[in-house]
Amino acid sequence: MTAQRQEFDVIDREAAEWVDRMNRPLHDAEVAAEFDRWIMGDPRHVESYARHQALWQSGSLRSALEAAEAAPDDFGTFEDEAVPNWAGQAWKQFAGFAAVALCLVVVLSMGARTLVSESSYAAARGTSREVVLPDGSKVRMSGGTRMDVRITPWSREVALHNGEAFFDVAHEKVRTFSVNAGDSRVTVLGTAFDIDLVDSQTRVVRVYRGLVSVDAGAGRQWRLPAGNGIEVGGGRVRSLGDVRGDHPGWIDGWFDADDTSVQQLVQRINRGSDLPVVLADPGLGQLLVTGRFQTSDPEMVLEALAAIHDLQWRKEKARYVLSH
Amino acid sequence: MRSTLLRYLRARGARPDVADDVAQETLARLIALSQTQQIGSLFALAFRIADNLMIDTRRREMRQETQHSDDVDDEWESDDPSLDRILDSRRALDVLSLCLRRMPPLRREVLIRRRLNHESCRAIGEDLSMSAKAVEKHITRGLLDLRAALDRAGVDFAEFA
Repeated sequence: MTAQRQEFDVIDREAAEWVDRMNRPLHDAEVAAEFDRWIMGDPRHVESYARHQALWQSGSLRSALEAAEAAPDDFGTFEDEAVPNWAGQAWKQFAGFAAVALCLVVVLSMGARTLVSESSYAAARGTSREVVLPDGSKVRMSGGTRMDVRITPWSREVALHNGEAFFDVAHEKVRTFSVNAGDSRVTVLGTAFDIDLVDSQTRVVRVYRGLVSVDAGAGRQWRLPAGNGIEVGGGRVRSLGDVRGDHPGWIDGWFDADDTSVQQLVQRINRGSDLPVVLADPGLGQLLVTGRFQTSDPEMVLEALAAIHDLQWRKEKARYVLSH
Repeated sequence: MRSTLLRYLRARGARPDVADDVAQETLARLIALSQTQQIGSLFALAFRIADNLMIDTRRREMRQETQHSDDVDDEWESDDPSLDRILDSRRALDVLSLCLRRMPPLRREVLIRRRLNHESCRAIGEDLSMSAKAVEKHITRGLLDLRAALDRAGVDFAEFA
C-alpha cells in the first residue's frame, strides 16, 4: 500500500465521521467552525465528503437497511463463502458466541416491535379535545386538528397534519419527543409548547416551558427558551418574543393578535365556531389586526373587526359573512 | 466557496451544466439567508441547500421525461437514460444488502437505528450498552465499508446522476 493510498484512507475516514456528525440535528459553533476548516483544508476533503454523504442519504441505502430490519434472521448469517479464511480456528470459537449475540439482537428487535404503539387522533371541527399519550404527555387539540402518534421504546414522534395543538410533554432523560409539522420539526425532551399550522407554508411555534429546538430544514435551526415563539413560512422568519402564561390563550377561547392577518384570525374562529366565518372579498384576509380577541364568541370578534377596519358583517343561515 | 460547491456537486454526480446553475442559486440563497439569521457552518448550510436544489431539479427533469415519453411515439428508439439509472440503483441495492449481511450484526443494528429511526448516538449507546463514541465508530466503519463495497463492485453510484 502506497503512502498516497493511506492518505486517501485517512481522508475517507474523516469524511465518514463528518457525515455522521453533520447529520445530527444540532451542532455547536465550535464543531461548525471545525467542519468549515476541514472542508477548506484540502480539495479532496469535499469530494470524499460528497461521496459519503450521497451514500448516507441515498434511497438505496434506505431500502437496503429496511430490508435488513424486516428480516433480521435472514441477515444474520455468516456463511458467506466470500469471507476470507483468515480467522481459522478462532473463527469457529467465535461463531458460537456470535450465534448467541445474534439471537439476542433478534429477540431485542422483535420484543421492541411489540412495544411500538401507533395511533391517530382527530378533533371534530368546533370542539377541542385533550388526549393523554401512552408516555403520559398531554396534548390539547384545537377543533379540526389531526395527528398521528408513534411511540417506541427509543422515540416519541408526532406527525401534525393540520390545525393547532398544545403539547405538555412528560419529561424523559433520553427519549426525545418530536413533532413533525410539514417542513418543520420540533424536538424536545420535556416542555410545553404550541404548534399552529396556519397555512400550507406557515408554522407558528410558541414555548411555554423548557427549551425547544425547531428545525425548518435547509440547515435552519433555532433553540427557543420558554416565553419565546417563532413564525416560519415562505422563506421568512419572524420571532415572537411575547409568549405569556403557561398555556396558549386559544384553550380559554382567547387569541392574542400581534400584526396578525384577518385571515389567520378568521381561521382561529372557525376552528371553534359552529358557524364558519367567510370573507366576501379574499383581499380582506390581508388586513392586519393587533389585540386580544375572544375567539369563542365569533360575533364579538366580528364586531371588533368591523369597528377597526370599517367593515360590515351579517349572520346568514349557515355562516357569518364579513364584507366591505 | 463557489469552487468548493462545484466540487461537491460534481462528486455527487451532478452534470456540469446543472452543477453550475445549482451552485449559482445556492450562493444567492446563502447570501439572502446570512442577512436574516446566524449561520453555524457556512459549508454545511451550502451543501444542504445544494442537496435540496438538486432534488428539485431531478424531480423536474423526471416529470419532463415522463411527459416526453407520453406524447412521443419513438420512445423505443431513444436510449432511455432512466433505464440505466434503474439498473444502477438495483445493483447498488444488491451490493449494499450483501455488504450489510456480511457486517457484524451490532454494526448493522446501529446503522438501522441511526439512519432509519434517526436515533441519537447516545440513545443507541444506552440501548445497546456501549458508549456514544463506540456507536460513532460503528457508523463510520459501516459507512466506509458500504462505500468501499460500491467502489469495488464498480457501481457508478451517484444519487443525482
